[in-house]
Amino acid sequence: MKKRIILSLLVLALVFATGSAFAQGKGILNFGLSGNPDTLDPHKTSGTLTFQVLKSFYDTLIEPDTKGNLVPALAESWTASADSKTWTFKLRKDVVFHNGQKFSAKDVKATFERIKAKETASPKASEFAVIANIATPDDYTVVFTLSSAYTPLLASLASGWGAILPAELIAAGHNFASEPVGTGPFKFEKWVRDNKITMARNDNYWMKGLPKLLAVEFNIIPERAVQVQGLLSGAIEAVEFVDPEDLPVFEGNNKVVIKKELSSLIMVMGINHSRAPLDDLRVRQAISYAIDKQTVMDVAYGGGKVGHTFMDTGNAYYTDFPYYSYNPEKAKALLKEAGVGNKEFTIAVPQNYALHVKAAELYQQMLEKVGMNVKLQLVDWSTWLSSVYSGGNYDLTVTGHTGKLDPDGTLAGYGGGKYVKWMNAPVLEKIKKAVTISDFAERKKLYTEVLDTMAKELPHFYLGTSYRYGATRSNVVDFRMTPNIDTFDFRWTELK
Amino acid sequence: MDLVRFFAKRFLRLLLTVFIISTLIFFVIRIIPGDPALIIAGVDATAEDIQIIREKLGTDRSLPMQYLGWLYSILRFDFGNSMISGEPVTKLIFERFPLTLTLALMGIAIGILVAIPLGVMSAVKRWSLWDYFGLVFSQAGMAIPSFWLGMVLLLLFAVKIPIFPLFGSESFAHYILPALSLGFGRAAVILRLARASMVEELSKEYVITARAKGLTERMVKYKHALKNALLPVITITGIELGYMLGGAIIIEQVFSLPGLGRLFLFGIYQRDFTLIQGGVVFVAIVFSMINFLADILYSVVNPKIRVE
Repeated sequence: MKKRIILSLLVLALVFATGSAFAQGKGILNFGLSGNPDTLDPHKTSGTLTFQVLKSFYDTLIEPDTKGNLVPALAESWTASADSKTWTFKLRKDVVFHNGQKFSAKDVKATFERIKAKETASPKASEFAVIANIATPDDYTVVFTLSSAYTPLLASLASGWGAILPAELIAAGHNFASEPVGTGPFKFEKWVRDNKITMARNDNYWMKGLPKLLAVEFNIIPERAVQVQGLLSGAIEAVEFVDPEDLPVFEGNNKVVIKKELSSLIMVMGINHSRAPLDDLRVRQAISYAIDKQTVMDVAYGGGKVGHTFMDTGNAYYTDFPYYSYNPEKAKALLKEAGVGNKEFTIAVPQNYALHVKAAELYQQMLEKVGMNVKLQLVDWSTWLSSVYSGGNYDLTVTGHTGKLDPDGTLAGYGGGKYVKWMNAPVLEKIKKAVTISDFAERKKLYTEVLDTMAKELPHFYLGTSYRYGATRSNVVDFRMTPNIDTFDFRWTELK
Repeated sequence: MDLVRFFAKRFLRLLLTVFIISTLIFFVIRIIPGDPALIIAGVDATAEDIQIIREKLGTDRSLPMQYLGWLYSILRFDFGNSMISGEPVTKLIFERFPLTLTLALMGIAIGILVAIPLGVMSAVKRWSLWDYFGLVFSQAGMAIPSFWLGMVLLLLFAVKIPIFPLFGSESFAHYILPALSLGFGRAAVILRLARASMVEELSKEYVITARAKGLTERMVKYKHALKNALLPVITITGIELGYMLGGAIIIEQVFSLPGLGRLFLFGIYQRDFTLIQGGVVFVAIVFSMINFLADILYSVVNPKIRVE
């Protein structure tokens, strides 16, 4: 008897010593995440990394597929009135929240009222401002009445910040920030901040037979080299992306699969039009002529598809306008004509983005080659947001604009200033008009005009869209990415 | 009576230090560029969205108003909620503190266990093989950056010879490599000081007197001289410990450990004013308390100090 107690104690000790026995089983994906989410409340954040995690806890009415098309999710179907001002969503009837409550129209109503409420202070509130009224004629029908036609609303509903929360918990003031409750494929288990987020399969998920994994563990590993070693050793089975510089490490390794796909980033160098002589088109043209885009793309960003206007090159709305291809001689002549002389320009770069820093160094060299006097200034992300992006205290700045489900997400406000301080009334008007149109061809016609003007006028210098390199162990099957929102999807993923 | 006055004086000094430091940090983080509302809002938010977030955070109020509000709440021991995550600052700090404390104590223990015997031996047997080893060790310890050492240890003992885990913090095994990387640098500093201080003591007149009295060499060195030589070592060890209790950012980063260092670092990156303020007050209190403890230890070793 005594022996048996000792034995079971030993076994218990062993279980504790090896972490949890649960974590050793099959069907549990160990994921390497580079940072800690800000919060787990989908309505109080704007961080890409945060939404990558939230995707597994919550669902939206509609969602993007891997090609960026909007497909049904919690809403089975939807229709718009002829004037595009009334949207009717038919909801699924077989959806249950993680706390066991049935999903119905009241949850949709409560969710969007929460996002719009001032107390929530949602950074995305204005995307839903156009919703004037939410009616629930029956338990599985929701009718949005808009104050004016607004096509991009569909994209907002399909984005992470359109996540549906249970009405009862909203009313009870539940703390979603640390205990997410949604309808998503995985249930929240535990979050040790800056260390690990654990989630387990939602057995009642509305997509039959999904998700396939038992659980996902997000291991928060800030150090790139450790992520790489984790992949090599098998301690982690997938990561969000691999730095292009680390790619050679995986060459010839048949245990790690690198997946290369075009991202939806628009890599640019913002040009501050309020600072002379950058308001002179000739100077902006000279910058464009001076830079060898493909070289910067390859050396700094690990390759990609060069672009010439303000849209990701893989986007359905993208059109190529190669007005100013690499020509240093032309750049020199234009600079001389504009009388730029030895004036000093500063490129401000957020230092936490190593790839942008590398690109900035290349830009500096290339611009100096055509006679410009260029300095680099590294700033931290907060300073960049407040001084550069919001404050306009910069000459040139290197950044990447993330992909959007709707072109308005990329273009809204341009022509009316934005951080490049570029004024162009016709462009501003066209962008405003485009949101009222729902027909793709008609919208595309307007956006093509806008993008053509931007390609000619150069509010930014346009580099193009880089590749992103995803990495998984070879036993990971069907780990999907939705490039348009830079988010991964574990629903179909399996471990072989 | 003396003792009571001594404690009271120290305690008042602690309060004053914390007050001055917290006031300084309050204004410094607001003077440097950056705005927590912009971090929450991201690049796509409208000006109205940003303004609403500022109102919610209270950063739209004037600086004196914000300062008074903050003073009022810390007097009630309320450090507020993190501006970014909305969680109570005290919760965030105390979630991390056990890890940081464990790591710091292990690091300092390794430091002391290596440094004091080695330092004293070096001083006693000057220019011996021991001494040269000690010198090389302390040179290396001070020159090698801890992130490099951490990385090398990790690659050696978690990748090449996988006896330790690569990341995580669930078990004791997770702490050994980071504690070693931390302790190595501390050991170097303490060793240097222990040696110098022991050498100095050994050259003092009381040592000659003690020897003249006919005390054994053992008594002279390890009872009389060592006791005095340890005084500066205690101070420095206390300061080192204080630093480590504020978090070891680089080590936490390399070993993916959720300690205070990363909490505060991200607080600064994200301009999480309430978190930084709470963090600084916390570290100031911990630091003052350690100094206080070091002083008590000091007065135990040498009661003359207390009277002064």
